Amino acid sequence: MWQYTLKRIFQGIITIWFIATATFVAMHSVPGDPLSSERATTPAIRANLEERYGLNKPILEQYALYIGSFLKGDFGISFTQRNRQVNDIIREHFPVSATLGILAVTFAALGGVLFGALTALYRNRLPDTIIMFLVILGISVPSFVFAALGQLLLVNINNLLGFSLLPVAGWGTVAHMLIPALVLGMSTMAYVTRLMRSSMLEIIHSDYIRTAKAKGLPAGRIFTRHELRNAILPVVTVLGPAIATITTGGFVVELVFAIPGLGRFFVQAVQQLDYTVIMGTTVFYGAFLVTMVILVDLLYGWIDPRVRVQ
Amino acid sequence: MTSPLLEVSNLHVEFDTYGGTVKAVRGVDFHVDAGKTLAIVGESGCGKSVTVQAMMGLIPMPPGRITQGSARLRGQEILGRSTVDGREVRGAQIGMIFQDPMSSLNPTMSIGDQIAEPLLVHRGYSAAQARARAVELLEMVRIPEAARRAKQYPFEFSGGMLQRAMIAMAISCKPTLLIADEPTTALDVTIQAQILDLLRDLQNETGMALILITHDLGVVARMADEVAVMYAGRIVESGSVEDVFYRSSHPYTVGLKAAMPSNDPQQQHELRPIEGSPPDLFSPPVGCAYAARCPHSMGICQQRPAQLFPVGDAHYARCWLQHPESPHRPAELSLGGHHE
Amino acid sequence: MNEPLIPALTPEDFTPVHQREDVHGLSRPSRSYWQDAWWRLRRNRRALASLWIVVGLLAFALIGPLLWRVDPARQDIDQISQAPGADRSAVIVAPYQPWSGQPTAAAPVQEGVLRLGDVPTSQAVRLVWDALPGASGYRVYRNDYPIDAGMAFGLPIIDVMASGGGHYEDRLNLRPGTYYYSLVVLNEFGEITDRYETRQVEVPRVITEDEVRQRGLVPEEQALALGDTVYLAFHPLGTDYLGRDVLARLMSGARVSLFIGIVAPFLYVLLGVIYGSTAGFIGGRLDQLMMRFADFVVALPFLLFMILFQVVFGLGPGQSGIIPMMVALVLLQWPATARLVRGQILQIRQEAYISASRLLGAKTWYLVLRHMIPNTLGVVLVTLTFAVPNAIFTEAFLSFIGMGVAPPTASWGSMSNEGLATMLTHPHELMFPALFISLTVLAFNLLGDGLRDALDVRMRSVE
Repeated sequence: MWQYTLKRIFQGIITIWFIATATFVAMHSVPGDPLSSERATTPAIRANLEERYGLNKPILEQYALYIGSFLKGDFGISFTQRNRQVNDIIREHFPVSATLGILAVTFAALGGVLFGALTALYRNRLPDTIIMFLVILGISVPSFVFAALGQLLLVNINNLLGFSLLPVAGWGTVAHMLIPALVLGMSTMAYVTRLMRSSMLEIIHSDYIRTAKAKGLPAGRIFTRHELRNAILPVVTVLGPAIATITTGGFVVELVFAIPGLGRFFVQAVQQLDYTVIMGTTVFYGAFLVTMVILVDLLYGWIDPRVRVQ
Repeated sequence: MTSPLLEVSNLHVEFDTYGGTVKAVRGVDFHVDAGKTLAIVGESGCGKSVTVQAMMGLIPMPPGRITQGSARLRGQEILGRSTVDGREVRGAQIGMIFQDPMSSLNPTMSIGDQIAEPLLVHRGYSAAQARARAVELLEMVRIPEAARRAKQYPFEFSGGMLQRAMIAMAISCKPTLLIADEPTTALDVTIQAQILDLLRDLQNETGMALILITHDLGVVARMADEVAVMYAGRIVESGSVEDVFYRSSHPYTVGLKAAMPSNDPQQQHELRPIEGSPPDLFSPPVGCAYAARCPHSMGICQQRPAQLFPVGDAHYARCWLQHPESPHRPAELSLGGHHE
Repeated sequence: MNEPLIPALTPEDFTPVHQREDVHGLSRPSRSYWQDAWWRLRRNRRALASLWIVVGLLAFALIGPLLWRVDPARQDIDQISQAPGADRSAVIVAPYQPWSGQPTAAAPVQEGVLRLGDVPTSQAVRLVWDALPGASGYRVYRNDYPIDAGMAFGLPIIDVMASGGGHYEDRLNLRPGTYYYSLVVLNEFGEITDRYETRQVEVPRVITEDEVRQRGLVPEEQALALGDTVYLAFHPLGTDYLGRDVLARLMSGARVSLFIGIVAPFLYVLLGVIYGSTAGFIGGRLDQLMMRFADFVVALPFLLFMILFQVVFGLGPGQSGIIPMMVALVLLQWPATARLVRGQILQIRQEAYISASRLLGAKTWYLVLRHMIPNTLGVVLVTLTFAVPNAIFTEAFLSFIGMGVAPPTASWGSMSNEGLATMLTHPHELMFPALFISLTVLAFNLLGDGLRDALDVRMRSVE
């Protein structure tokens, strides 16, 4: 297990390096000039700015500097927001995105496992039909539609009640987070439900559940000790990628609900071609996702004795 | 005569499938006496596993359905209920082991915990007591280093070891009847013998009865007191192991014996397969299910299902050749007293 | 086991019967793999319905514009953000005439301080008000919604710093419908007080004869008189915030969305198949190296890199962004297929029937043609079907956050993006493109499920 953990961490570091390099290569092949904006009015200012951002150095040296500063955890200074550290931007906005993301993943995982188990137990009966219909909707409807619908619904509910049950936009309290997180987790929840259902159906018909029944165990014990635990395993494996989908899918929800998250900031930075912010956030996100995937892998190893022991 | 431990009568089981309704078990009767071994023999798909699974309530319903019949344990009906005399039937009064030990154990629960489970549930043991007892049970089924092994998971066990663990689990609550559904089919030949020896020793120690489901006549000869031969959802011949083997009274039993290799050099013969395949149980034939494959098939065989004819003392065969007026006397078939 | 009654039988019953010959016969005809798959797919009603939906969507994109010949870029300024099925009638009025500020003879008789000075039309709403004691001035507001307690008055349209009565003519961007005008009393510092009066005004749509002729709404020879009703251009699914026909835009958007949604997956699945089968065939070190590279590409945060690539491949002004998006999709999405195909090839190479075929003297190309390709084709086809909704989602997502297809090119995603702004007042502008995206994704998902069940026994779901 220790060897496995170390191996995964090493792979993760290499992957983050690859992401950083790919980002660097991508950003340096952008046509146009990062300083072509109106700020570089005279050659003197331009030279000054180039000096400041290290753009006058040879590309390999720039690369070395870039990797070096990443290793120190320094993502540089924003191009468009004077004197603002990219680190500060991340520190300020990432917790918002992360809170939203964690809440959404929690919704998706708990809801998916619960609904998936329910549909499998009530297979081909009314609860199954209803939930599976909703699941198909959840998979087929884009997240921005959910976001828009969620907001529309909230506006109408608030209007109907005559007071604000939950805020329609913004950030700050738990009340602000509920609907956006639910909306964000919706498609993943649908996906997890589907996975959980088929996994559960497979296990319900497995030999060892027959054994458990032959042992005369009560249905509740069979469900919790034998079915649920085994059925959850495949769900855990998709949680890593799901976190990736949800954190990046957060852009849309942040946009619609006016949440000051990193995603919204990233889109803004791209539109303004703010090089350091783009590179910094991309690498930061990449590192975050890789870490999450590794953590989920390790979690899987902890749950599944077949991986844990070997 | 004392009443048998388990008496099954007129059991019918059906399955709804996309292709129609399969009549998997079509009126099965048998009984097991305390401490004795009954072997149910037959080829794949003849309904032998379905019979015992139906008895134990292990058939998924739907699509499965028990349409008729009864199964009584010490005179008490067990079909459709889980307890008799206030005690759980499954796991406590009747233990059961299955064909494939690899897939019949929960991969994410330790062997010890799985063995301890019935004790926790049926016997009210504390967790520590149950764990200690699980180790003892593992020792009873001759697993070395039982204490260490109890903490391991199924993937760390070999097939034979897993089957031993299954047995330990099945006998944990000291059942009066153990059902072994093809317990050795998935195992190596050398392991098979060990498992069978173990089963017999445990039976001697505990005095439990055993129902052994198998398609292997060698296993039957070695283990059984009584034999029931099943074909296409019905028992076609039943009797003591000597009667069925040496005084076979149904052409199917004769066919099975001819298809079985013997390791006795004096009895070696050329293996003869039974031609054809079993009937489609979506629409079972009107007459005898074996008629299409039977070398002695007669007119009546295709029109009416044969009834059980008594052949000897507690020896029955479901064959029209056993009819007192039947003019045919195939040499390989033992015929009932009517012909004497 | 009771002693059974023994039935009496006749000697004929005991006549031996000859063995039947058909004992060995198979009762069902045999089918080839593809025949069987097709048969199974046809029995799957959901998949079949999805197949028809896909065909319908393609027809909508390809044939639709030939039948509904409306320019998707043309703006109908008479009908902005018009909901489908809305009233299209307009009454012909005289061209606009300046107003003196005095109530006209036609003005409706009303009680209250704030009154209409003329018949309200979409040309102009004319308001007059009486002096209120203690008022230093007045501010007029206009709102689309009724004024509730504590709610805003809406758009302030004029401040009048005069204590006497006044008048105001509102011509600002008037649409047919209901408006709520509020007159709020200002104090001597020009600040609003809590004294106000609101008047609900129904504004009918009007049009001048010149405009009717100019737009060609009636045949040229038809005579028109003031007060006649004419009908504006027909938009079956309404118009968007610039007055463009939603149906026509959906059709042209379908071309873009389906083009990206089908061609991009086709390209990256193809790339994945080539990459994966090369790795699988060659094996060894190179295989390890190639697959490690694929692992890295998988680890890239997908949507972030899609956005980066949009920038890298130059999303300049006037560019539609379709090609950059396709390139980005192909560059980022191939590894999944590559892994799958490689695994499949490695697995098939070890199958006993390949060895058997080799023993019978089959050449490599024969093995590839006869065994490898048919056995991977099913998996690839299923992957392709599931890749389509993925690509459509990606396009919609990027266009929605404004990093995809650029205006004026329509795609379902960009239409949704534009529709979001007017969602609260005109939900149809968001709902129609969203509906099409959902329908397409749904159809491809169900078709994929059906294909998977029909083609690939190993992946078959437990249902």
